[in-house]
Amino acid sequence: MKRNWDNLGIFLCGAGILLVTILVYAGQFQPEWKGYQKQFRAMVLEKYGAARAQQVPSGPQQIWAKDLNRVDRCTTCHLAVGWKGFEDAPEPFRTHDHAILEKHPIETYGCTSCHGGQGYATDLDSAHATALANWEQPLLGKDVSETYAVSDWHMMMQMNCNECHRYDRKTPGAEAINEAKALVDQKGCRACHTINGRGGVIGPDLTYEGDKSTEQHDYSRLLGVQSEFGWHVAHFMEPTAMSPGTVMPAFGFTSHQAEVLSLLVMSWKRNPVPMQFMHGVKLGDFPTPEEIAKEKQMETGEGAFFVKHTCFVCHSVSTLGIESATNIGPDLANAVTDVPARFGRPLDDFLMSPTGTMSVVLATQIHLSPEERREAIAKLKIANQLLVQQQAKTGRGKKE
Amino acid sequence: MGMKFKERWETLTWTWNPKSIRESSDSVVRNLLLHWFPAKVSHKSLSYRYSLWLGTISAVLFFILCATGLILMFLYVPSVERAYPSVKDIGFVASYGGFIRSVHRIAAHLMVVAVFLHMMRAFLTGAYKNGLGANQNRPVNWVLGVVLLFLTLLLSFTGYLLPWDQLAYWAITVGTNIASAAPLVGDKIRFFLLGGNQIDQNTLLRFYVLHCFVLPVSVFLLFSWHMWRVRKDGGLASVDREAQKAKEKKSIPIKTKTYALLGITSGRTVAVESSYIDQDENLVESVPNLTGRVLFVALATALLVITLAFLIQAPLEEAANPLVTPNPAKAPWYFLWLQELVADTTVHLGSFTINGALVGGILIPALLGLLLAAWPYFDRSSTAATGVWFAKERRRQNLVFLAVIFAILVLTFVGTFMRGPSWHLYWPWQAWPPSPTRF
Repeated sequence: MKRNWDNLGIFLCGAGILLVTILVYAGQFQPEWKGYQKQFRAMVLEKYGAARAQQVPSGPQQIWAKDLNRVDRCTTCHLAVGWKGFEDAPEPFRTHDHAILEKHPIETYGCTSCHGGQGYATDLDSAHATALANWEQPLLGKDVSETYAVSDWHMMMQMNCNECHRYDRKTPGAEAINEAKALVDQKGCRACHTINGRGGVIGPDLTYEGDKSTEQHDYSRLLGVQSEFGWHVAHFMEPTAMSPGTVMPAFGFTSHQAEVLSLLVMSWKRNPVPMQFMHGVKLGDFPTPEEIAKEKQMETGEGAFFVKHTCFVCHSVSTLGIESATNIGPDLANAVTDVPARFGRPLDDFLMSPTGTMSVVLATQIHLSPEERREAIAKLKIANQLLVQQQAKTGRGKKE
Repeated sequence: MGMKFKERWETLTWTWNPKSIRESSDSVVRNLLLHWFPAKVSHKSLSYRYSLWLGTISAVLFFILCATGLILMFLYVPSVERAYPSVKDIGFVASYGGFIRSVHRIAAHLMVVAVFLHMMRAFLTGAYKNGLGANQNRPVNWVLGVVLLFLTLLLSFTGYLLPWDQLAYWAITVGTNIASAAPLVGDKIRFFLLGGNQIDQNTLLRFYVLHCFVLPVSVFLLFSWHMWRVRKDGGLASVDREAQKAKEKKSIPIKTKTYALLGITSGRTVAVESSYIDQDENLVESVPNLTGRVLFVALATALLVITLAFLIQAPLEEAANPLVTPNPAKAPWYFLWLQELVADTTVHLGSFTINGALVGGILIPALLGLLLAAWPYFDRSSTAATGVWFAKERRRQNLVFLAVIFAILVLTFVGTFMRGPSWHLYWPWQAWPPSPTRF
């Protein structure tokens, strides 16, 4: 029997097992966070002396935000969060802004509900999750901002503020979101989209747009980073480039505007946050009296026809009180005289068998029966009369 | 004092380190862990080249899985809400949790491989065939082995769901959807497996109980039976082969001795043919020759597993989301040959689609499984082909067997490495289109 060979094998395998065990053991006792804790303790020692340095905790730290279903271990490395005097220290040793923590105590909110990232994790790559295939919510910080060349990295995080503050017109500190909300009003997004229960039905309801899963967008036309955020930005810049055939016009947004709008729509989620977290937060999106009056005028006034048939997406009909957010096409108030000037045909004839852009629009997106076309012509004639009257008034005014 | 301690220690360890042949035989009787070994074994059955020790490796992996699984059971919560977070905790904050989970995962994959290879070895050596011994019934042990292979797959499959991540959820979706293609009872089988119409809490609890109790206990009982039958059948089939050779040489029979359960049973159940098995020159004491080798194989297996586990972390994807199907959604790798077969047997005729789930997912594997289990009863080769690698007499069936295995391996390879989004073919080195992320 080759008994000695077996014994040699037993000893070699035993040695191998011992070696791997030592490696595993060593790894367990040299985690990444231990270095950070040691470093922070030295910083506190230098600044405040030995007594305070002893107060620096050791071992994994966690915040269990039970009501938000979060376990955040970020403070294992970010130990300085609640300490004073490290406001200018480099991360992860920086003091957290105190004002915001006062309103959102870390013990109940945790970290990831605002910052994103993987709270469970205890190593940097897994926790920040910016290059991780298995975690959908990356840390909304500098790494992500760099990917999109966003000017101010703090704005990415404001998406999460708006999960609770969605009904605010303005949230202090969430400037990017405030800017996006102002754009929503300015550009009249509600003309086509329902948001928070108010708005039109021409485009999809956007109230819970943020709940769409990543896979629900078509990325085949998207260049660059294949992400939901990237898709929204590209879509805001040029809607037809992402969704051919869409009636949504290009509003000529700057890339910054497209970014803040993307953050806004991605923040619109069905909110799972318990009510006790919403203390003092506005819970309804109510229109101002002016907005109500304008909306009523648009929907029930003389020009309601042009809203109902979506003409107003591109055209204003100023004398009938219809304002287009985009003004892609000319004001239709003077269509009676403008159409012959442009196309060399009277309005009646043109609208019955249009040429150029309008032939495409009326063949594909806006379907008008002959009766409806006649109605449109009649309304446009009224609009023109009103215009003529206005001009006569102003003309008389000038004379006087 | 020192001497006393040494003496005491020796009384505890003597069964593992006997000083005489007598002590060696005695140790097998006295020690619970050794009692399933014969007092003496033939050189041939200790050979690496014949058995490759795949059965021992499988058993060692099973015990590694039991040990690590037991630890994981203290940390894992089988509820839809807590399962995924508890696996995250195992990975990030339980001491050695991630390593233990990796050991469990690696050992599970390796056990599927080892049991499958063990089955291949038994087929290719004709080890399911009876030899010259009395009361042999190796075909029964072969059937037990096939059942053990099936249980191993089920163990791995049920364990696959437990982390409750996307990988788990969708692999089980694919797997159980294949089962639902069975004629008449398909949907009922799926309902029974899932405890409902969709994968949810009931499924998780079912799979958990199956994975942690029913299946391991079944495997342990069947494994014991499997080992017991090995003893009853006179050890490894290669010993029969040696006996046959010895008989052909017409050596003079000598006075027989039997170690059959130390003479308690009547008849010569264990012995093969006295001319070979009882000749001392062919035999060595089990302790320490067999025990030493078992220890070596066990340690080598353990070393392989922990080294791999040290290098490769067990994966954990996003939390299970029934609303988002990853593309592609794949079954566990050892079932990918079935998924591939389903895809390949799905026929599109104009607007009609004939789903391959019945043919590729049910009929072909069921037929193969039944044929595999029943094969010893079809094999008409002589006892001379027992316990020999690639016996001439069994050449044709070995070739057919290898062809089927090859086909399964090719399908598994294609399914694992060459199927990308929408089940389109990609070369293994070809990049898939990137899957979109949130940011």
